[in-house]
Amino acid sequence: MKLLLVDDEKKFAMMLSKRLAFRGIEADYVHTGDEAIEMVTNNQYEVAILDVKMPGIGGIELERQLRKLAPGLKIIFLTGHGSETDFEAGSAEAAYYLVKPLKIELLIEILHELTG
Amino acid sequence: MNGADTNQIKEDLAFFGKINASISHELKNILAIISEAAGLLNDLTEMAATGKDVDPEMLKTCSQDIIDEIQRGFTTIRQMNIFSHSADDPAKEVNPTDCLKLMIGLAGFLSVACQIRFDPPKTDIPMVYTNPFRLQNLIYQTLVFAFKSVGPEGAITVSLHSEKGDAARIHFSGLGSEPLRLFPYERASMVAGSINAEFQIDDNNQTIDIMVPQLEKAMH
Repeated sequence: MKLLLVDDEKKFAMMLSKRLAFRGIEADYVHTGDEAIEMVTNNQYEVAILDVKMPGIGGIELERQLRKLAPGLKIIFLTGHGSETDFEAGSAEAAYYLVKPLKIELLIEILHELTG
Repeated sequence: MNGADTNQIKEDLAFFGKINASISHELKNILAIISEAAGLLNDLTEMAATGKDVDPEMLKTCSQDIIDEIQRGFTTIRQMNIFSHSADDPAKEVNPTDCLKLMIGLAGFLSVACQIRFDPPKTDIPMVYTNPFRLQNLIYQTLVFAFKSVGPEGAITVSLHSEKGDAARIHFSGLGSEPLRLFPYERASMVAGSINAEFQIDDNNQTIDIMVPQLEKAMH
C-alpha cells in the first residue's frame, strides 16, 4: 500500500510517516497542497490523507483537485476540529474523516478497509 | 440598550469566539504532535524489546519534539490567558507594544497568515488608556485583511510609532493587491469608533495605519 500524507505540521507528518513505515505502509509526506498535486501527478497512490486546514490550498479544495488528477484515489481528511460539521462535508467526497490526535490503530483499520 | 450597543456586543462575542476557536485548533495540533511522538517512542521501545536495533538519535529527536511542543503549548496558553483577561476592564492603561505582539502571535495561528515582520519601536511608546479587547480586535481585523492581500506566501511589516497628539500609530506596510478601498470593513469601523481610534489608508503606498488616541482623549 502506498499513501500520501499532506499536513503543514512538519513534525506530525514526519512522525506519522515513520510510524506507518514500521507497520509496513509506505507513506510519502508533503506540507502544502501544491506539493501534493506535484506528487500525485508523478506517482501512484492508493490513499491520500489530507489535513483540512492548511495555508494556501486547503484540504477541501485540494481534494477536488486531486480527484481530477487521480479519480480512483481514496481520501481521508484529518481535522483538528472536533465536529464533522467543521468543514464542508457536503461538497467533499472523502471516504473518512479523522480527528487529531490520531489513533494509529484506527487509521490502519480504515486503510485496510479502503484498500481491501 | 440601543441597536448600536447590541451590534458592538455581538461583534465583541464574535471576536472572542474566533480567537478561542483559533487557539483550540493550535492546541489540538500541538497535542497531535506530542501524541505522535509518544506513539513513535512506544513503537521504538517495542522494537528494542524484540531485539531490533533502534537509532538513539530517533529517540532523542522524539523526546526533544515532545519538550518543544509542550513549550509551544505553554506559550499558547499564556497568550490565551492574556487575551481572555483583556475583556476584564472596559478601559485601562494598555501597553501598545505588548498588545500588538499578542495579536501578531494569535493571528499567526490562522491558515491564511503570511510572514509578519515586527519592527520594534525606536522610541518609547506611551501607555494608552483604552479598551484593550477592542484595540486587539482592530489589530486582528487589520492583520487578517493584510494576510488576504498578500497570500500565505507573502510578508507584511508591522511597526509602532509615537505620534504628536496621538498616543500610538500602528503601521501596516507591504500590503498586496487587495484593493485598500475595501478596508476598513463596517465591523472594523464600528470597533474603531467605539474607542475613538481611526484608520488611515494610503492606496499609493499600500499601507494602513491605526491611530490610537492618547489617554485623555479616549472614551470610556
